[in-house]
Amino acid sequence: MQATLPTTPSFDRAAERARVQQERRRSAMIDVFVTLGTIALALLIGFLVMLIVGKDPILAYASLLSGPLSRSIRTGRWIEDATTLIILGLSVSIPFRARQFSLGAQGQMFMAAMVAAVVAIYLPMPPVVAVLLPLVAAMIVGFLVGLLPGLMKAYLNANEIVSTLMLNAVIVLLYDFLLTNVFTPPGSQSLRSELIQPNSMLLRFTPLVGVNLGRANLAVLFAAILVFAVWVLLNRTPFGYEIRTIGANEKFARYGGINTRRTIAWSFAIGGAIAAVAGVHLVLGVHQRLIPGIAAGLGFEGIVVALLARNNPLLIPVTGLFYSYLRVGGDIMEQEAAVGAEIVQVIQAVIILLLTAQVLVDYVKARNQRVREA
Amino acid sequence: MEQALQVIFSATFIAAVLRVTTPILLPALGGLIAELGGVANIALEGIMLTAACAGVLISIATQSEWLGLLAGVAMGVLMALVLAFFHLNLKADIILAAIAINILASGGTIFVVFLLTGDKGSTSALVSKQMPFVEIPIIKDIPLIGPIVSGQNLLTYVAFIAVALVSVFLYRTRAGIHLRAVGENLEAARSVGINVRAQQYLALALSGLLAALGGVYLSMGYVKFFARDMTAGRGFIALAAIFLGGKTPLGTMIAALVFGAAEALSVQLGNLRVPNQLVQMIPYVATLVALVVYALVQRQRAIARQRKFRQTQAV
Amino acid sequence: MRNITKIYPNGVLADNDVTFEVRAGEIHALVGENGAGKSTLMKILYGMERPTSGQIFLRGKPVTIHTPHEAIALGIGMVHQNFMLVPSFTIAENIVLGAEPLRGAFVDKRAAIAATTRLAQQYGLTVDPEAIVDAVPVGMRQRVEILKALYRGADVLILDEPTAVLTPQETHELFTAIRQLVNAGKTVIFISHKLREVMEISDRISVMRDARMVGTIDKRDADEHLLAKMMVGREVFLNIEKPPVQRGPVVLKVRNLEYATEAGVEALKHVSFNVYAGEILGIAGVEGNGQTELVEVIAGLRAPLSGVIELDGKSIAGLTPRGVRQAGVAHIPEDRLTNGVALASSIQENLIVDRYEREPFTRGGLMRPAEIERNAEALIEQYAIRAPDGTLPVGSLSGGNMQKVVVARELSSRPKLLIAAQPTRGVDIGATEFMHEQLVKARNAGVAILLVSADLSEVMSLSDRLAVMHDGRIVAIFPDTRGLTEEEVGLYMLGTKTMTQAEIERNW
Repeated sequence: MQATLPTTPSFDRAAERARVQQERRRSAMIDVFVTLGTIALALLIGFLVMLIVGKDPILAYASLLSGPLSRSIRTGRWIEDATTLIILGLSVSIPFRARQFSLGAQGQMFMAAMVAAVVAIYLPMPPVVAVLLPLVAAMIVGFLVGLLPGLMKAYLNANEIVSTLMLNAVIVLLYDFLLTNVFTPPGSQSLRSELIQPNSMLLRFTPLVGVNLGRANLAVLFAAILVFAVWVLLNRTPFGYEIRTIGANEKFARYGGINTRRTIAWSFAIGGAIAAVAGVHLVLGVHQRLIPGIAAGLGFEGIVVALLARNNPLLIPVTGLFYSYLRVGGDIMEQEAAVGAEIVQVIQAVIILLLTAQVLVDYVKARNQRVREA
Repeated sequence: MEQALQVIFSATFIAAVLRVTTPILLPALGGLIAELGGVANIALEGIMLTAACAGVLISIATQSEWLGLLAGVAMGVLMALVLAFFHLNLKADIILAAIAINILASGGTIFVVFLLTGDKGSTSALVSKQMPFVEIPIIKDIPLIGPIVSGQNLLTYVAFIAVALVSVFLYRTRAGIHLRAVGENLEAARSVGINVRAQQYLALALSGLLAALGGVYLSMGYVKFFARDMTAGRGFIALAAIFLGGKTPLGTMIAALVFGAAEALSVQLGNLRVPNQLVQMIPYVATLVALVVYALVQRQRAIARQRKFRQTQAV
Repeated sequence: MRNITKIYPNGVLADNDVTFEVRAGEIHALVGENGAGKSTLMKILYGMERPTSGQIFLRGKPVTIHTPHEAIALGIGMVHQNFMLVPSFTIAENIVLGAEPLRGAFVDKRAAIAATTRLAQQYGLTVDPEAIVDAVPVGMRQRVEILKALYRGADVLILDEPTAVLTPQETHELFTAIRQLVNAGKTVIFISHKLREVMEISDRISVMRDARMVGTIDKRDADEHLLAKMMVGREVFLNIEKPPVQRGPVVLKVRNLEYATEAGVEALKHVSFNVYAGEILGIAGVEGNGQTELVEVIAGLRAPLSGVIELDGKSIAGLTPRGVRQAGVAHIPEDRLTNGVALASSIQENLIVDRYEREPFTRGGLMRPAEIERNAEALIEQYAIRAPDGTLPVGSLSGGNMQKVVVARELSSRPKLLIAAQPTRGVDIGATEFMHEQLVKARNAGVAILLVSADLSEVMSLSDRLAVMHDGRIVAIFPDTRGLTEEEVGLYMLGTKTMTQAEIERNW
């Protein structure tokens, strides 16, 4: 019996490949177009909301969209916020790539902020070490805080959404408790810790460039390094392959020999370690001490940033910059146009809803196809 | 310690447990229906929040608690339908869509409250209405039982009656049976002519209705104002209660009572100068522990079943 | 059904101007390869799909059927290939599902049980109305499906590959029931690709190929070869040629293997056998008698309770899937398109899932895209996978080419033992031939092959030796498949006959 295969002469591989690659470029273009369209649509909805509630949407949008560039200190706030959001987006993208809905970044940041502050306040250190040691300590703790729900999911199949949210609540309360009873020096008027030692403070840009960029600081470098590191991790390491394969089909990954449980647990933990860097940025770079609710309200922002970038680490800086621009603009809008900054959250929700609505994307693609064929 | 025990075994404590269980039990029952219909609803939190907000605002505007209730419930169902539309018609991932709903609720309620009152924190400066508290004749005079069972908020009674209603609905009515069939085997349901999408819409709408009642209770029963993010994770604790309760109405109620007891205890212990934050952690830690214990128990059972098989083999 | 055309939104032409006619009171077989369009045609008749064009006539009148509900109302019932039952519901609940008898506002469970019992007696289809579906055997589940359709007043019954999961004896019982139904005035449409059964049961036979209706013939004008030719448009070799077996040393040794599922179901009971280099050991049996568990325990996907699994004398029992693979086991899983590939991942990535962490694909902790691409290009060429580009997602390939991706990966790992589970299920004749060729080729090259298949004729013609599983046990091992009849093997599959322990041990 001959084991040759039926070859099909009609199949011209080179031509097919060219066609497919063209198709792919077109599809990528449409993705970009859909994302931009979604953002525009969400902004339009926000516009209409303001119109309906009787605010002046033009004034509001003028301050929302030009605000972050209107003064250097506001630009500094934008850079500062973007640094946090980019790191958070990277953190979230790792478990999300494995299709694990870890929502633990909030708690991981608080925990990391505490650990970094404890080291940076109480342990005298020489320069450089004074930055690296709190960073490493916080990352280890962030890793462990991520590992716990990761292990619970991987080995006990405990719902990760519930477990990470519960853990967040516990950590935030713990933070509150320790800040009130331990970190705030006796006799202090307000609820806040001492300043960290000067050696631990991340260098701010203001003295470097001579323009007031507020609290924007060298943690931007952390973000840049992490973008590259996460890209390498996801796309060029066996661990990244494992994560992506589990995300594509967990049963297949297990069948193929991947230790799915370990990989899932680690995806949570590495996400936690990266979220910790965001917490370190808040303490060593932004506030230079612990303040109440230091990372409050940042919990879901990383998800939006990652989602907009479709969990692609190279796109996360773009979406992080975009989204923090909106956030900072929202605050300025609130000051200047008396429109609540929470409208930005509404816009954010609309963006998520529209981007996850698969049918809309498919519809645009199908339409594009028909138009081309016609 | 003695003091603590005294607290736990008092009628006021048990009455308090029922009070704090209500805003967990109602969304949990809603979430249970959605879960059994195959459309896990993690937007319970956001739905509660919008319902709590809408209820208070309308009750301020109309000075009628009943119109407030109606508005709250309508708002909650609307949010659930938005989720259903995006998931069922537009094929959005239900978890991400629900996260969006939660963000929308959190930001949207603050935005609206700020717009109307100029205050971002709460509506407490304005006079809102409360759902009635019900004194039950005869029962209220029975010692011990009276103070527990009587004098609760109307919605607390609704919550516990809802346990029975949800059971009957799920297991005895056509709609409930169809809903469970859809959740368990969608194709089978579709093949006998059950309108799958309609059932899942129904499941999400009912979950919205029950979660909304829980939200209205929070702002118009438990307290008498709306405060930002006042649901404080109850929508998620409700989710935990569903899983712990083995996805049955009765089990869900028992789990909700456990969480309620933990929360009531934290309030009581708070009075005994135990630091506030540590006590507030109790329900969250309890949920975490319960998740682990539940999983371990399940695993032990499976192992025991396997062992039993081996023993019968040996015989 | 006249001039039915169906084009799916993705552009696939499933039915092309098909006209199909069934007479009242007949048993009409509809045959064709997978993808020939017969399932789509029946889904259109049952209202699960809408035709792009064409019309349906029932008793001479044009009808529109847009939902299964409307089909049911018109007296059309369908028994699907994968059962459409709710596992946690009782049999009676499943039968009345969607049309429950009511008492007041509530579902009347007693009436449901009574109706089930009555129907079951009327048509001689025995079931236990109060049993939970999850706990009853496959044969009974199928009877439940038929009763479900009858309960809804079906006059026309569509049976989609009903014998795929049955033993020859159960098939025989089913055929008796079908004849009884026709005698009671029902009409039966019987979808199948088992030509022998088609010849046995049907009155008339319609053949489809490439989305078109090839023709309808009376049974008395038909024979298996003619039908096969109509199905594929060319002569098909129904027999598999293979050189005589060159049996080498023992590769896989399994002794007293026991396994229970997490639900406590005893799936494997003291299973023992050998597989030798250069031979194909077939495992026959009705599905659900422990074959799936056996394969997954050996492959490391489930942990055995006790027993010995040795590969070349080294224990592989309880190893992880990777450990088992590295010991030299390859595995073509039964649910290939769901578990054997990751649809969203690229072809390149699908082809390295068992070796990505090793040289040459990973060096110094980093993966090497050039090597991954080279590997994919070589396999695409060697196995004639019709893929323009290795970076495309596997999901963009046709079903047959996805199969090839799995086979290419598993065979290129140079295994000592190849486990092939249901290798031709859901596969058309062309792909079946390909799969058979590959298995025989690997066998001739000295690989030990464990073949598990529910298709009795396949497992009997491919295997050198044949073991039969029933109720978690090996009940027979035949040292030579030549001269065996399906009826005899069927008796063992049913559990009515069992070899003695000594006999089995002699044939290990």
